[in-house]
Amino acid sequence: MDFPVSHLALAVGFGLVLIGLWGLLSHRNILRIIISFSLVDTGIHIVLVATGYVTGATAPILDDTMGPGEAALNAVDPIPSALVVTAIVIGFSVTAIMLAYAIRLYKAKGTLSIDAFTESKW
Amino acid sequence: MVSVLFHPLNIYILGLGGGFLIPLLYRLAKSRLPLVFFFALAGIAVVSGVSFIEVLSGAPAIEVLTAGTAPPVSISLRLGVVEGFFAFSVNVVSLLGAIHLWPRLREHYGAMLLYLIGVMGINGMVMTRDLFNLFVFLEIVSIATYGLLGLAGTARSLAAAFKYIVATVIASTFFLLATALLYFTTGTLNIDALASLPEPPAGPIATTALILLLAALLVELKPFPANGWGIDVYETAPGGIAAFVSVGVSAGVFFALYKLLPLFAPWLDLIAFSGGLTFVASNLLGLRQVRVQRMLGYSSVGQMGLLTLALALLEKNGAVPAIPLVVGGLFLNHLLAKAGLFWLADLVGRQSTAGWSPVARRRVLVASFAALVVAISGLPPFPGFFAKWELVMQLSAAGYGWTIAAVLVGSLLEAAYMFRWLGRSLHARTDETLTVTGPLQVAPVAGAILLLLAGGGLAAFLAAPFSLWIFAPLAAGAALALVERLLHPSGRVKAALALLSVAVIGPWLLPGVYGIAWLFGALFIGGGLVVGLGALYRAEPRPYYYPLLAVTLLSMPALTGAMTGLEFLVCWEFVTLGSYFLIAHGGRTGSQTLRYLLFSLAAAFLLLAGFGQIYGVSGTVDLGVLRMLDADANLAFVLLAAGCLVKAGVLGVHVWVPGTYALADDDLTALLSAVISKVAIFGLLSITYLAIRSQSGLDLAHLLAWIGFATTLICAGLALFQDNVKRMLAYSSVSQIGYIVAAIALMSHIGWVTALYLVASHLLVKGVLFLAVAGVILRTGAGNFSSLGGLAGRMPWTFAASVIALIAMAGLPPLAGFGSKWLLIGTMMDREWYALAAVGFLATFAGFLYMARFAYGLFLRDRGAAYAQVAEAPAALVVPQALLVAGILVLSFYPKLLMEPLSLAIDPYFAASLIWEGRSLEQIYDALNPLPVMSMAVVISLALFGLAVLVYRRCAPARDETGGTSPISGFLMFFKGVLGRVNVPGFSALWDGLAGLTLWLAGNVRLLYSGNGQTYALYVLVYTIALYFAA
Repeated sequence: MDFPVSHLALAVGFGLVLIGLWGLLSHRNILRIIISFSLVDTGIHIVLVATGYVTGATAPILDDTMGPGEAALNAVDPIPSALVVTAIVIGFSVTAIMLAYAIRLYKAKGTLSIDAFTESKW
Repeated sequence: MVSVLFHPLNIYILGLGGGFLIPLLYRLAKSRLPLVFFFALAGIAVVSGVSFIEVLSGAPAIEVLTAGTAPPVSISLRLGVVEGFFAFSVNVVSLLGAIHLWPRLREHYGAMLLYLIGVMGINGMVMTRDLFNLFVFLEIVSIATYGLLGLAGTARSLAAAFKYIVATVIASTFFLLATALLYFTTGTLNIDALASLPEPPAGPIATTALILLLAALLVELKPFPANGWGIDVYETAPGGIAAFVSVGVSAGVFFALYKLLPLFAPWLDLIAFSGGLTFVASNLLGLRQVRVQRMLGYSSVGQMGLLTLALALLEKNGAVPAIPLVVGGLFLNHLLAKAGLFWLADLVGRQSTAGWSPVARRRVLVASFAALVVAISGLPPFPGFFAKWELVMQLSAAGYGWTIAAVLVGSLLEAAYMFRWLGRSLHARTDETLTVTGPLQVAPVAGAILLLLAGGGLAAFLAAPFSLWIFAPLAAGAALALVERLLHPSGRVKAALALLSVAVIGPWLLPGVYGIAWLFGALFIGGGLVVGLGALYRAEPRPYYYPLLAVTLLSMPALTGAMTGLEFLVCWEFVTLGSYFLIAHGGRTGSQTLRYLLFSLAAAFLLLAGFGQIYGVSGTVDLGVLRMLDADANLAFVLLAAGCLVKAGVLGVHVWVPGTYALADDDLTALLSAVISKVAIFGLLSITYLAIRSQSGLDLAHLLAWIGFATTLICAGLALFQDNVKRMLAYSSVSQIGYIVAAIALMSHIGWVTALYLVASHLLVKGVLFLAVAGVILRTGAGNFSSLGGLAGRMPWTFAASVIALIAMAGLPPLAGFGSKWLLIGTMMDREWYALAAVGFLATFAGFLYMARFAYGLFLRDRGAAYAQVAEAPAALVVPQALLVAGILVLSFYPKLLMEPLSLAIDPYFAASLIWEGRSLEQIYDALNPLPVMSMAVVISLALFGLAVLVYRRCAPARDETGGTSPISGFLMFFKGVLGRVNVPGFSALWDGLAGLTLWLAGNVRLLYSGNGQTYALYVLVYTIALYFAA
């Protein structure tokens, strides 16, 4: 296959990032803004995974069939995957906190429009 | 064992362990919560402190390896000297912050947990050597912050917190993306490995990654204009939390930038530009703020901008040895001062700067407030001053003139709003009281100030290890304050103790000083003591006034003893600050106090820039080098001279003088005019003296002479029309300073001798006159010509002293020997500067008039029985007047007494450099007989007076229409009208206009901050894109 799957993943990832950024700037509803952040996050996670991809390589599991030397050539890079796991956890926590804020903001003002929360300015 | 106990890894064990224990204890043993929380937090501080001391004392940096392998395969942490300094400072402040926040933290165990984890996260950001790990710690800190920001619970603070989250999540997303792309292109996440790649990461992907990384870090540091979200949080969060974000979180991010700076080598100028823009813009916008925490927020982002600028430019120019002092000093200064101010804002609990006046009822609070404002404005004795000094030196050496200008303008703006806030709070204006109770509440603020003082001493040691004696005036002041605190002596005893300290310590500050400097030093001590005696007439306690007086009076001889630019500037600032607080102490000067301070600071900044230029040209700040400089140093001399002229209050920048002198305490005005104003003259004299001895070939003489005489003439004219006696004397003071400046402008032996003579004369004369007025005001309760008069018989001693002083000031017989201004005008004529000489004559005429008015209006004019019961002024005022009059008489009849030391002071240097014809000074003075000039002046004045009377008789309306109650005031009112129609320049209006323009600009720029979170997100994105294209 000429077109490696990682390129597709990269394209999808960056596409999601851009869609997320657009959503974040164009939607007034706080929940939609939070969803946009999740899209950006997911996009970046996909990009991360894609950067570790090695075309035609196998899973990075060291055993009798694949020693450390061989792994450097024939296995996908496990580090981005490890990073992604951490990044997902962090993204999850941040999303949770944002949602918690959304609830409290709604309780405070009865609206979720970001335009309603501009008391502090100048 | 010890090394295991205090191993930096324990920071994380304490942080995470405490974090897990807290929820558990909340369920099982609530009473143990505080113990565990503070144990963990204090443990973190102690561990970082011990490790810091260890590496500071020469041990290699402590490497913390993980996962059983060496980096770059595993994550590693490092604690070297720099890391130790940052971590330890942040941890100590966090501990103090926790004590401050305790009432809030106690309510929510979650808050304790978040605080602890946040502190640990900052340590992680400082110590980690892995890029992804840095991201993780950044997120840990961010999430902890998000949680803490929710503590206030108001809609306003929640909204602000949400904006903060939106912006920082965008930044950290970029950080993550950059990390992934960097790993993709370089194959490593280890920061050391990244920094030491054989070739720096290049190519579109790597470059994009690096710029995204840079943008993420800069955005986290809240650059202008992408920082509205940060300022909103500073405004709405509880003060303690705002302090944590402002100093703690920012410290972590700043350190990350420092760590990664090698990767950003191509864009250092850009980083510096962003920092500089942020510093100036934030401080400009700060001017419009009335909400305390928002104002502190602007100051906060500004300071981070300054730090960024300093770091980037020092790195770029290879001035790495200066980084500890500059960056460390600025960082420590901001860390402690800003945290202290936020805590104080919390304690005071007034949202508006206008509501802070109840602070004045609590001396501890107001003293802390003042110290913190002085510190945040970057003034001595705090570390920010020494850091800024070194920064300016380094920037000058590297030729960054405009950057220095930006730094100084930003600093002036910051000082303006900080001191405006302080100035409004120094006197209680309502009956409100504060609810601050226990010493524990004030302890964190006090701790921050003590640490600031220690940091200031350290920074001074780093900047100039042999200059620590300049703190002697402060030490004396502190000792006096301690005596006052412990023994509660009466007001007069305190005054006597302060003067005694000047008499004892003053001479000690002058060893090794000779020539002009010695003369001035002696003049400052002697003049300060004699005129200072006037303070004894006040019986009230004047809390902490006298320690400040001692600091001010002692800083002046210290100034003359200064051997380097740094020593000079420190003493200069001490005089400025000391006199500022003395003036403010009286409580009647209002906005004049701020005016005084701002002009003084502007003067100091001009000096700083001037010393920077000298350093840039010569590589040293030793004052002795000035005389060896060549034409490269012209700008330096101009800047230094301009600074002194601003401080002296010459025409145009004199606007602070009349109000300040008129409204300050009466005995203080005498000191300000007679003694303290000579500080600027000393500076100007020394600088022009050195300039002419240097090879700079700079000829400012003519310009300076015009500045001097224009000041003399216009201010004499203005003096004439003042109704308030002190205001009149204030203008007269400026007018006399004009003569001195003109004398200095001659830039010759005769000029200097004349200048020194005028300095001595002005000191004696104005001392007498202001003390006389103090007595008059004390006895009559009136201070205006329109209500005074007929006191000659009631206050004979005061009258006699005043008359002698007036004759001496006028330079008329029998005190003509004193009239060195005749020599001045004569010399102008010899030089064929006829226009100047004519201005001199005209000014003399105006001078005669206002002096006559003083004598007539106060003492001779018939007031009937209005002041029949008035008694002579108290001895405390008459005795110093008598001493000063004795000085006048001695100098008049035995001029040799002053002439010889003057000659000795100046002669040795000039024998070779100026045309001197082998004559002694006395012969020169004899040759320049003042009598012809004096006679000419008197004749001209009489003629002018006759003319004026004639015009008045002819053209004046009937007397009852002028509203004058005496012939003089009718006469003056008429001419005031005539001159007012012709041209009385509105200098005050000019400066007010400038201030108005600045405020207008600030008011418009700040509209950028719409308050909308989405707009702020857009700014962050646009900032990132702009950075990308700029890079």
